Amino acid sequence: MRTLMTVIAVLMLSSCIRLDSLMFSPDTSIKTYQLDAFEGRQEIDLPEAYALPDSLIEVFTLESDLEGDKAEIYAVYVGNQNLISTDTVILYLHGNAGHLDFYWNRIKLLANTGAKNRFGVLAIDYRGYGLSGGTPSEDGLYADTDAAMKWLKEKGLTSDRLVIYGFSMGSAPATELTANPRTLQPSKLMLEAPFASDEVMLQDASGLSLPGSYISNLEINNADEIAKVDEPFFWIHGVDDDYLSIETHGEVVFKNYQGIYSEAHRIEGANHGDVPFIMGFEEYIDAVTQFVER
Amino acid sequence: MGIIRTTFILGCLAFATACAPARVIKPLEKGEKQIGANLGGAMINYAGAPIPLPLTSINYLQGLDTGITLSAAVHTTDILFGVMHAEIGLGIKAYQTKSEKFGVTISPSMNLMYDIWEQNFSAYPQLDALCYWQYAEKPNLFYGGLGSWVELNKVKAHNEVQTNELLPYIMVGHQFNRPKWTFTTEAKYLGFQHDNRYLVPDFIGPSHYGALGLYFGISRRLIK
Repeated sequence: MRTLMTVIAVLMLSSCIRLDSLMFSPDTSIKTYQLDAFEGRQEIDLPEAYALPDSLIEVFTLESDLEGDKAEIYAVYVGNQNLISTDTVILYLHGNAGHLDFYWNRIKLLANTGAKNRFGVLAIDYRGYGLSGGTPSEDGLYADTDAAMKWLKEKGLTSDRLVIYGFSMGSAPATELTANPRTLQPSKLMLEAPFASDEVMLQDASGLSLPGSYISNLEINNADEIAKVDEPFFWIHGVDDDYLSIETHGEVVFKNYQGIYSEAHRIEGANHGDVPFIMGFEEYIDAVTQFVER
Repeated sequence: MGIIRTTFILGCLAFATACAPARVIKPLEKGEKQIGANLGGAMINYAGAPIPLPLTSINYLQGLDTGITLSAAVHTTDILFGVMHAEIGLGIKAYQTKSEKFGVTISPSMNLMYDIWEQNFSAYPQLDALCYWQYAEKPNLFYGGLGSWVELNKVKAHNEVQTNELLPYIMVGHQFNRPKWTFTTEAKYLGFQHDNRYLVPDFIGPSHYGALGLYFGISRRLIK
């Protein structure tokens, strides 16, 4: 019995299986960003009508500083950079899989909001994603998002013209940096298929009220952080989302919002990654446009 | 979107209900002791193939009295996550024919969990009821029954109402008994009242409800 207890104690003290790093599923196999030429799997396929002029697309790098852990991260800006100092910009924060090419059609769709290139759109590859240096981490998400905001601020963007859009895992930095702003205070928050917390994931899977600390040390908690957000809030979620359940994730985040304005878009028949497609691209663009312009 | 789908599974399911086969099928005789190990779990689609989750536990049984067996177990997979998950209970003879070839066993137990990271503690009562049929001279058994974990919490994450008061399962299995060794194979149908389509793990369950589970156990008699 003493031996058994010793083995258990040693195993517990040396236990290292945490799901923190497994939150991230980056693809670093690319040599360059291909955007329109990318032939790999994309979240959605987009008709040619949403094509954008190459002259208004720029891929560049930013330096992201995570408490001294500096990483060169990649970003793409779609739009006229000279208008950043005067017009609205949407900062798009992608999900946990792949890299920017994987989300390129989503970025293009947002760049069609209002009209073609009506608003600028900035998207980043978090550290450890695509060609970005470093290793993914929760704090890295926030640091990298803030680095994007610093770049926008240097270009003349002010808080009142920044709209932040988080998809899936991207809902974490979007919510966190709206609730607890750093360089800029986003004026509007848009979340697509947000997750509530890792605790909800565990409880959904087990059916029990188990604490999230049983599986991870992540502190991502959109369901609680959203309560600190006063800015207008747009939530869109597929009713048939089989990854992040609309009922246990999205609805909880939406319900906990206590700010000045909110709107919900529950898309029948849509799953986790196909909301714009199922909703219809024009309907999706109209909804985003109305919110951004309100 | 493949977020964590293939990797979150192990963590989630390490703590899923009924992560081991039934502990006491036919109560041991007084003074009899067994130690065993178990492997298996709910069936999931993993990289396109159906597999049972490789959850493990070790257990100890001791016949306290005629028809009453003490059972204790430690869930070793959970330990790797920094969670001490212990299970202690009794297997009680509720009915047995004179020939001892058919009987009913009731097993109340308690699952206790504690993590080293944030010192969170959880307790879940569990109750199994099964009947067995000894079909050979060497006391090999078929058995079947039902059981449930009991959720004591009224709220879950973010103060949402916990609507799962019971997490039931049904089970069928077989025990192959040799003089010193026992080999157990068991199938379970877990959480059959729950729609499994909106969960991270791709559970395999009839008509998208619950999850089928497959378990293997081996145990050795220590003293009689």
